[in-house]
Amino acid sequence: MATPASVGSRALRASKQPLKNFVQGRRGLAAAASGSFEYQTGEAAGVKYASRDLPTATTTLAVVAKAGSRYQPGPGFSDALEKFAFKSTFKRSTLRITREAELLGGELSAYHNRENLVLRAKFLKEDLPYFTELLGEVITKTRYTTHELNEEVFHVMKLDQKGLLASPLSLAINSVHSTAFHRGLGVPTNATSSTPFTKYLDAQSVADYSDAAYARNNIAVVANGADHSEFAKWVADFFQDVKTGSTEYKLSSEPTKYYGGEERIAHASSDVMIIAFPGSSSFTSGQSFKPELTVLAALLGGQSSIKWSPGFSSLSRAAADFPQAHVSTQNAAYTDAGLLYVTITGKASDIAKASKAVVDTLKSIASGNVSDEDITKATALAKFRALEAGQQTEAGLEATGMGLISNSKAYQIDELGQRIGKVTADQVKNAAKSLLEHRATVSSVGDLFVLPWAEEIGLKV
Amino acid sequence: MSGPSLAPYILRRPWLKTWMMPFANWYANAAGYRRLGLRYDDLIPEENDTMQLALKRLPPKEAYDRVFRLRRAFQCSLAHQLLPPAEWTKPEEDQPYLSQIIKEIEIEEKERADLESITVQRRT
Repeated sequence: MATPASVGSRALRASKQPLKNFVQGRRGLAAAASGSFEYQTGEAAGVKYASRDLPTATTTLAVVAKAGSRYQPGPGFSDALEKFAFKSTFKRSTLRITREAELLGGELSAYHNRENLVLRAKFLKEDLPYFTELLGEVITKTRYTTHELNEEVFHVMKLDQKGLLASPLSLAINSVHSTAFHRGLGVPTNATSSTPFTKYLDAQSVADYSDAAYARNNIAVVANGADHSEFAKWVADFFQDVKTGSTEYKLSSEPTKYYGGEERIAHASSDVMIIAFPGSSSFTSGQSFKPELTVLAALLGGQSSIKWSPGFSSLSRAAADFPQAHVSTQNAAYTDAGLLYVTITGKASDIAKASKAVVDTLKSIASGNVSDEDITKATALAKFRALEAGQQTEAGLEATGMGLISNSKAYQIDELGQRIGKVTADQVKNAAKSLLEHRATVSSVGDLFVLPWAEEIGLKV
Repeated sequence: MSGPSLAPYILRRPWLKTWMMPFANWYANAAGYRRLGLRYDDLIPEENDTMQLALKRLPPKEAYDRVFRLRRAFQCSLAHQLLPPAEWTKPEEDQPYLSQIIKEIEIEEKERADLESITVQRRT
């Protein structure tokens, strides 16, 4: 019975119980953030690191090495090094690493792209020392044994090759990069199935490459959701043995030059067409970052940001008549170049028609035929996307690491937002005009009988 | 596969080693495999998974040489002949080339078995 007296005594009893969360000093998700959204940076024994203390219960820790496929000395090196991550070290075996990470509830992963090789661990906040030690150990003490290369690494690489071969979209993205940039950035991220990578790779050469890839001035350690002073201490402890470089390999890549051209690959499973132009390099690169191209990518768009509607973007309106074709626009940003590309997937006959519409739209934007309202909307969208990408841990970690390695500048997203906000309508129109002055890059993968040539849709290659 | 052995115990004690070596050398020569051009590691039975994996991990040159020695020994055995003394395996050639790999695989397997049967004690 809820008499006033009984209610009162119950309340009293409840208030006597200690508030568990506060007593243990744990912070709930809704509690005030102790940390800032900006990265704090530092350097210990030549290894650069950055962290931000987000009020979360988990931490994401990454080692970013500037050793993606554009820096590799032969086909498959970055891929093999990525797959050698978390293999047996001089201190413990592959199995032990896996089991220990499982016991702590952590998640280990590694990936590489054109520019970076990233080793990543996600775990509960209190396990920071363990995982910092693990990543330090992986980059300095991996054994690179021949039998692991033959039994595990090559096996997975070959499966990857098959996966790549079965995916027209990946084939087209690799093809468009190699047509646009030839060597360096153009090198495919994963070797295609006919690449004889076993000719170039052996355990010793991968070990030599790792010395160059994980050299002091070539890596950055980035953490999200870790206390900076604690993180600094562990990095200083566990990254002491990082090597200074390799005598065998010097990682370098020529400054990227844009070529352009057309490549057509027959494929039976599905159809993709990618139309690309020189784009904007990443924000951390400084000079060659062109915010207007990011806005142009948002203006062209194609993918909708609202439900049940094709969206306001120019390309989605242009391609609305061809519902079997999906259009999307990206600006792939790299340190010294970028690629603004429109991907059209779907049914071959619709792709053929949609691609013509895409080129016509681009031409009309270049001739100034676009309303200021659209540009305002596109600017807002571009700003949102850039900030959101920086906020997401994965992309943010890599971008920050990359910035630290190249010019000791973390990926400070507030600044990026301001730069995009300042873009004017004229800048966007001029950017569109200058795109069409360059040779375009066109890659078609799929039913080549139906997919059009670049000349047929009015592009100059 | 590597069986139980007194060798590590003896090798750790130099006085015992000097005392045992003449006997060991006499035994190895008397065993007769050196007169067929074989090495001690060629005699390890291969009909098990560990050994099969170890053989796969041999460097190509070692694997080729091993097959050559085995075929030559078979041939000698069929012909009821010994090799001419110049082709006998010299004691300094009779090095373990496979035992190390087998040991590594056994350590891996033991670790796996240990980890499978581990009991986890949670930190409090």
